[in-house]
Amino acid sequence: MKKYAYYLGCTIPFRESNYDLSTRKVMDNLDVELVDLEGAGCCGLYYEQINELTHLAMSARVISMAESLGLDLMVLCNGCNGSLVKARNKLVENSELRDKVNEILADIDREFRGTSEVKHMIRILYEDIGIDEIKKTVKNPLNVKVAAHYGCHLLKPSEQIKFDDPREPKSLDELIEVTGAKSVDYFDKNLCCGGFVLGADKDIAYNMTGQKLQNVKDVGADLMITACPFCHVMYDANQRAIENELQKKFGIPVLHYPQLLGLAMGFNARDLALEQNRVRVNPGIFDS
Amino acid sequence: MNLKEKILADPEGKSLVNCFSCGMCTGGCPVARISDYNPRRIIHKVMLNMEPEDIWLCANCYTCEERCPTKTNVADLINLIRRITIKKDGMPEFIKPLVENLKTTGYTVQIGELENKRRERMNLPAVETTDEIKKIIQKTTLK
Repeated sequence: MKKYAYYLGCTIPFRESNYDLSTRKVMDNLDVELVDLEGAGCCGLYYEQINELTHLAMSARVISMAESLGLDLMVLCNGCNGSLVKARNKLVENSELRDKVNEILADIDREFRGTSEVKHMIRILYEDIGIDEIKKTVKNPLNVKVAAHYGCHLLKPSEQIKFDDPREPKSLDELIEVTGAKSVDYFDKNLCCGGFVLGADKDIAYNMTGQKLQNVKDVGADLMITACPFCHVMYDANQRAIENELQKKFGIPVLHYPQLLGLAMGFNARDLALEQNRVRVNPGIFDS
Repeated sequence: MNLKEKILADPEGKSLVNCFSCGMCTGGCPVARISDYNPRRIIHKVMLNMEPEDIWLCANCYTCEERCPTKTNVADLINLIRRITIKKDGMPEFIKPLVENLKTTGYTVQIGELENKRRERMNLPAVETTDEIKKIIQKTTLK
């Protein structure tokens, strides 16, 4: 049985608990055990722009929680993934920096050793579990056209993350197709959701999100699939506001990947808290 | 030290010298496409000892770094420019609430009663706040 330390970050427990719930359901069904980290806190992503040492210490703290359990860390958020992987790489490569960070962590009785890996849930599904194993759990193949949105820090910077091909990624597409759904190609598939500029310039962020929603609509996809809670906030929770801002109508349901996989495994909409997705999802579209 | 010297003195800033201003970064930048934001100009201005503008508009998507033919870490350089700028001028307004939340809850958001009630209804474990982040912030920003 596979086992991971399970890290939620900030956005998921605050407004995307359906991502958490659906991940637990599908992981349980795949015989993967998740160990919650109590008081896990933030990965330090924003401190990359404020203070490097704070960022490294915050990331190292989260990783050290997994290390003390002797487990690799499963993350669900692209932002956490980028922040934690980059920090881990730096601390593994640079012992001087590691000592400095551990001096800070000593105050809270923690230590970073570099013994646990940081892996995004999509990477775990694709590399550690594998498409073949997932296929065995699909009981209810879905008959929908899906637009995959990888987001940025699942793949980039590729020199640091070292997963899939950032220009022509295929992991999420394959994970979608194993559910029976068709993963469609669309213009600008690798475009960023714009979430990170939301604070500095809402117009730019909404424009970026809206461009992609339009591209997804243009190819007639039934729904969009994300692998990051913040991308999901942009496309789902903010979709109505973006429609108003841009004077356009999208009406694209956006599901967290484990919600799609969960439906294919035979869980019902309620099990996966599909009613919490802001853009209404008509469960009837999944019937073959 | 001026901005360029500070960047070059930082291990994160070494790749600044790689850039020959070809503009591949800007050609692929999703923000440059819809606004006056221009990462090529940011890097170029730093090299000319001029003050770069719009440094807060980078979406941190790393498309620039993936495309760069000279392995200039454009997005990381912009993060470094942000850190140096904050040290000099303080934090921009939109970041302040995040930092306040980190100090009080350990998260960038105010996780509390409301969220945990919803999580309880969903049979999900409650999310506990932590003061360890506050301690880290205090210890690393005192100097």
